[in-house]
Amino acid sequence: MTQRGADPLMTASPQPRLLRALTILTALGFAGTLVLGLFVAGTDIQQGQVQRIFYIHMPSFFGAFTAFGATVLGGLIYLWRGSEAWDRIALAGVEVGLAFALINLLTGAIWARPIWNTWWTWDPRLTSAAVMCLTYAAYLMLRAGIENRQRRRSLMSVYGILAFVSVLLTLFIIRIVPDTIHPVIIGASPQNAQGTFEATSGVVLALMPSLILWLTLMPITLMWHRYRLALRQEAVDALKLKLLGG
Amino acid sequence: MRRAKRTTTILLALLLALAWSGWTRAQAEMPYYQSTDFNVPILVGWQNQSADGVAQFHRPSAAATIRATMTTGADAQSAAAADLAGWLGLANLAAPVYSGKVNLADGTWHVLAHDINAERSASQLARQAGDRFIVITFLESEATSRTLMLAIAQADEMLDSPEPEIDNALRQLTQLRLDDLEAAGASALPGGDWLVFQNDTAQAAGSLFGNDSYIALREGPPGDLAALADAWRNMLLGFFITPDNSLYLGLGLAVSLLILATLMGSFAWRARALQKDLAMIEQLENTDAN
Repeated sequence: MTQRGADPLMTASPQPRLLRALTILTALGFAGTLVLGLFVAGTDIQQGQVQRIFYIHMPSFFGAFTAFGATVLGGLIYLWRGSEAWDRIALAGVEVGLAFALINLLTGAIWARPIWNTWWTWDPRLTSAAVMCLTYAAYLMLRAGIENRQRRRSLMSVYGILAFVSVLLTLFIIRIVPDTIHPVIIGASPQNAQGTFEATSGVVLALMPSLILWLTLMPITLMWHRYRLALRQEAVDALKLKLLGG
Repeated sequence: MRRAKRTTTILLALLLALAWSGWTRAQAEMPYYQSTDFNVPILVGWQNQSADGVAQFHRPSAAATIRATMTTGADAQSAAAADLAGWLGLANLAAPVYSGKVNLADGTWHVLAHDINAERSASQLARQAGDRFIVITFLESEATSRTLMLAIAQADEMLDSPEPEIDNALRQLTQLRLDDLEAAGASALPGGDWLVFQNDTAQAAGSLFGNDSYIALREGPPGDLAALADAWRNMLLGFFITPDNSLYLGLGLAVSLLILATLMGSFAWRARALQKDLAMIEQLENTDAN
């Protein structure tokens, strides 16, 4: 009989106090930054209310950056030391990062409709963001398709490291390719940028708390929850194998 | 736990303080007067008398006032006339001495000029916005002079000087011709360059912008006509209405929350499925043991 209390993989272990505190702090912080972006920050008189999407759009990309960065770190340490924990972190990074990247992509398209008069255009920044999402979606599909655990972990570590190129490309493409209409808010916008608005002190001070939250608390908290799920999954899989093996 | 609560409260208070400071600083940085209906640039060097949704700027040295408001009416001309009459408390307003149209990026503006009485002359721009009308009025209240501001769609798109349009306007609205005035040089102003012509009793200024000519005429002792005309044009070209796109903001928020909820929901759903698997495994193990 399985002794849950002695389960080395903590399949039913209670949520650590730190994780609980982080979850509450993240939820409060998320609500707080929404209040800042929606009600406290001034309305952009040229773009209207839709400009407030920026307070989610930009931070969500940086949240994805942190999560995908964790995937790179997890992949590198797994390949170096073979520790399964780092592979779980890498997987958690992809799932959380992909959700954030989708938020970034879709909020961008929704903002573009009234400002650029189109949902989508094959602009370098938009295209690279879409490629980034597809790259990480492919990670999850590929991972699910490899049966051998060891091979899966090694291959996906390499994939996760290489996939980060798409993140860097998305981040820097508007600095490399001048022919883009995507605005740069902090720094000089490209010549053809449309929908630029000034990073006034009001914008920056409403943006910074949101940026800090999405860059740190949100990915860390969600990845920790996903990590625990992976632990449970492995424990249950191990028990199933044991049962089948008799 | 008490310490964590205190830290959270301090952090939230700091966040709110930062945001409040940002909001107040942003208000101070705003170069526009914002009414609930429209935005216009705040004219530098003019007294800002804006209040209650009406943008109004006054320059005492020239006895000039520029005013922008949103009003109702049957059409642009009658809305503009009613607004002017209402503002000045006039029962009747004579027919305009000039009437024309210019097409700008935000729509067709009707251009009107009025000789109200011996002391006052007014120039107006009006266009439809939804079911209402925007009216921008330039009023000059000086007994010794008469000042009119015009925007004229260029007959010749290849025009490289406002002189022909100034001459036309002078002939149409005064007893003068451009030849009666002497060139007084060009004034480089924030809105662009203005060519100025004058003699002791009259003055004219003109500037090209896009496919339109902006012309200012003054009968009376010469004054800072180009600066007045530049402020008038800045008011017109700087005027805009903040778009109402809050539905898109709502959609963006809904999509973001849905994605986050789906992610967290999938964690919970998978955890519950694993819990069920675990319960089944335990049951099978117990069956085997028995």
